[in-house]
Amino acid sequence: MIKEAKNPVLEIHDLTVTYHKKPVLWDIDLTIPAGSLTGIIGPNGAGKSTLIKTIMGLIKPSSGYSKIFDKPLDEVRKRVSYVPQRGSVDWDFPASVFDVVLMGRYSDAGMFKRIRKADRELAMDALQKVGMEKFSKRQISELSGGQQQRVFLARALAQHADLYFMDEPFAGVDAATENAIIDLLHEMTGKGKTVVVVHHDLQSAIKYFEWILLLNTRLVASGPVTEVFTSELLQKTYGGKLTLLTEIGNLLQREGLPARETK
Amino acid sequence: MNAFWIITTGSLVAITCSLLGCYLILRKMAMIGDAISHAVLPGIVIAFLYTGQRDSMVMLFAAALTGVFTTLLIELIHKKGKLQTDASIGVTFTLLFAIGIIMISVFAGQVDLDQDCVLYGEIAYVPFDVWLLDSGINLGPRAIWVLGGVLLIIIAFISLGYKPLYATTFDPGFAFTIGISIPLWHYLLMSLVSITTVASFEIVGAILVIAFLVVPPATAYLLTDDFKKMLMISSGIGILTAGSGYYLAVALNGSIAGAMAVMAGIFFTLAFFFSPSHGLLFKKLRKKRALLQGHEEGATTI
Repeated sequence: MIKEAKNPVLEIHDLTVTYHKKPVLWDIDLTIPAGSLTGIIGPNGAGKSTLIKTIMGLIKPSSGYSKIFDKPLDEVRKRVSYVPQRGSVDWDFPASVFDVVLMGRYSDAGMFKRIRKADRELAMDALQKVGMEKFSKRQISELSGGQQQRVFLARALAQHADLYFMDEPFAGVDAATENAIIDLLHEMTGKGKTVVVVHHDLQSAIKYFEWILLLNTRLVASGPVTEVFTSELLQKTYGGKLTLLTEIGNLLQREGLPARETK
Repeated sequence: MNAFWIITTGSLVAITCSLLGCYLILRKMAMIGDAISHAVLPGIVIAFLYTGQRDSMVMLFAAALTGVFTTLLIELIHKKGKLQTDASIGVTFTLLFAIGIIMISVFAGQVDLDQDCVLYGEIAYVPFDVWLLDSGINLGPRAIWVLGGVLLIIIAFISLGYKPLYATTFDPGFAFTIGISIPLWHYLLMSLVSITTVASFEIVGAILVIAFLVVPPATAYLLTDDFKKMLMISSGIGILTAGSGYYLAVALNGSIAGAMAVMAGIFFTLAFFFSPSHGLLFKKLRKKRALLQGHEEGATTI
């Protein structure tokens, strides 16, 4: 079930990615609507992170291409922001919270120019939005997992992009941070930004996202959450894993009601 | 006066190596620096045979080229041969260094280099190898000019490329997505490590070059959490190392390069135990204090 978005900010055509001759992504065709909060869902090893890394140019596809705002990535780089997995960097690195967030301004400020006061203020604003302004001078090794994620998010916000790709922003963060992040993402999409999130938790996916991609090497489904979350499609994505199927069954019984207690 | 020139030369080597070393250790590439400092030897010998002189631009260029070639070879063996990075490094640099040593012994008559000089350097002779202009004006030791030039290049490189270097070191994936070329900065850094190595090693020897590339930055890493401060502290420690190493050598009547490397180790050991932020001693104290506080607050928090 692959539904065309009416007003796409991202389109992917015939995308195949292989690693050591094994396909990681196979013949992906999809579109993502502007201003949506989109979730990429699928089991481990389904190619979720690979998909956004390929869109960002970090991995070269074997075939196919993607277009952002109807242009190749290189022409619109400044309008696109990428939030890597938290675990992809060394948090013992000698940097303060502010140093990291300021990297979000490098591109706009000019790589070989001095950082202006305006850039510092924008970085500080971004920190404020994630509720971390008090930690700006803090050494990054002293942060908790949730705080690290907020710092990464602030760096992305400081870029002032229109399209955001986030790799597992909810992995290993506390409930308070998860709620804060999801509120922030809704606020962003409310302002017309598009946010694409790699996510692994089915239960929360149903209440977080408006548009869902179900991925397992192939694209199983892409469309509004209500149309995509059917037992048939989920079964196709997860390949009949028992525990998951019961979970899905429970989910569907509740008909999209929040599967998790809201605080 | 001799002491002054030797310490100045040692300090120039120390600062240059320490600055680059900060990037190397944070990129987890300290051993690449080690490899390059050895593997450039055949490149130098070939450049020698071609130009017949030591302090030519050709030689620095040849070194940069060999250095980049070394890293390419390491990556090739790692990626195509699926061998671990450290094993690839070991295979590559021992082979290239050995080829260099054979070349030196074969062309001994034509090359003004010997194994001792390669390994231990000749810092004690620095004051005697002066740069005399045709008019007879003495401009001081030649090494000072070469190393000073290299240091200026490194400082210019770090200040101009501060942002791309910082970003690619901390988070290469993110750096790429904001349009920074990761290979460009990687190979620029590798070229500069090679140039530095070549300019330094005939003076202080390959072993002290490695010591300066790794130990002062590692010491500074234990002393600060701020990258700019880390650059400055490691330079400072480099200077201290060169100075104290010289006097240690004089006191013991031993090898200057050896004494400098030992002093680098001593400063590291001091930081390891007594650094206010990362030192073992203060960590223990802090833990104790935190535990005591924990006991006091325990009743109220949980």
